[in-house]
Amino acid sequence: MDYPEQLRYSAEHEWVAADGNRARIGITDYAQDALGDVVYVQLPEVGATVAAMARCAEVESTKSVSDIYAPVGGTVAEVNQALDGAPEKLNQDPYGDGWIFVLEMSDPSELDSLMDAAAYRQLVEEQ
Amino acid sequence: MAADRALLDEVAAGASPALRLYRWSPPALSLGRFQPEDDVDHTACRDRGVEIVRRPTGGRALLHGADLTYAVAMPRPERAASVDAVYRLLARGLTRGLACLGVEAAVARADGPAGPLCFASQQGADLRVGEQKVCGSAQVRRDDAVLQHGALLLDRLPFDETDLLRGAADDDGRARLRVATVTLRELGAPVDARVVANALADGFAEALDLRFTAAVRG
Repeated sequence: MDYPEQLRYSAEHEWVAADGNRARIGITDYAQDALGDVVYVQLPEVGATVAAMARCAEVESTKSVSDIYAPVGGTVAEVNQALDGAPEKLNQDPYGDGWIFVLEMSDPSELDSLMDAAAYRQLVEEQ
Repeated sequence: MAADRALLDEVAAGASPALRLYRWSPPALSLGRFQPEDDVDHTACRDRGVEIVRRPTGGRALLHGADLTYAVAMPRPERAASVDAVYRLLARGLTRGLACLGVEAAVARADGPAGPLCFASQQGADLRVGEQKVCGSAQVRRDDAVLQHGALLLDRLPFDETDLLRGAADDDGRARLRVATVTLRELGAPVDARVVANALADGFAEALDLRFTAAVRG
């Protein structure tokens, strides 16, 4: 199981890569493994405003549909359109090509409430 | 299906786990949450009096009418329990219920065949008797709750999914679907919906260590 050091993590198993006011978001290696083969990703709308912890996307694996939550609040600035044709990227490269969306954060201090890699690893290992 | 979804929302808001067992009249073709509507031959459905419904869960097209449908809404056993872990738990309930009816079912192989029709494919969520699928299931998760529902084949209608989907109606597809599946009637087991429902309720109660305290008959 992979837990990149430079990322922040939510208890809902999303990761955040922050760069200034922008936050790139996806699901963790642990989450993709638990869901199984992803067959469809319902992406959020570019321009939509989401609050921290609000549902904003859905992931369908071969036999399940799960919500994706916004780990921080903001406006959707980009979505990974490549997932439309290749949803398996979520399984193959969850921290890279499998990113889901980018938020323009409304309050970057919300990042402080997320876990670092060590805390997230501990959460996963306790489960 | 909307009632199943409502159960999930109630459990996510803190309600007790719930089990729902039901049949369909008139028959209905249920589509997976994101399955394209274009897959459906609407004229064929209308001619046969088949309604079209959208499931909150994933997966492929499934014809209801000769099945018993179950729905379990419950808190996730643990926060991040994998999809497979919940399937395994509920499969114990289903197999125990079926055993009471004299049917020895097993969990399908995770790497079974895939296809556009639910019952032509097999995955770890499904139950088989021998190599033939008898029950197909799907899940949706919301907050700390999970809904799993599925269809147990009691009998067959005079037509099947291949007659209701575009480009699927050919004798080969029909024959493949037929040999890929088996019904309780074909297995010589009881097909009375109330008898089967009671057996499944007992199986789930035992597997989940729950006692169902209230029964509502619709």
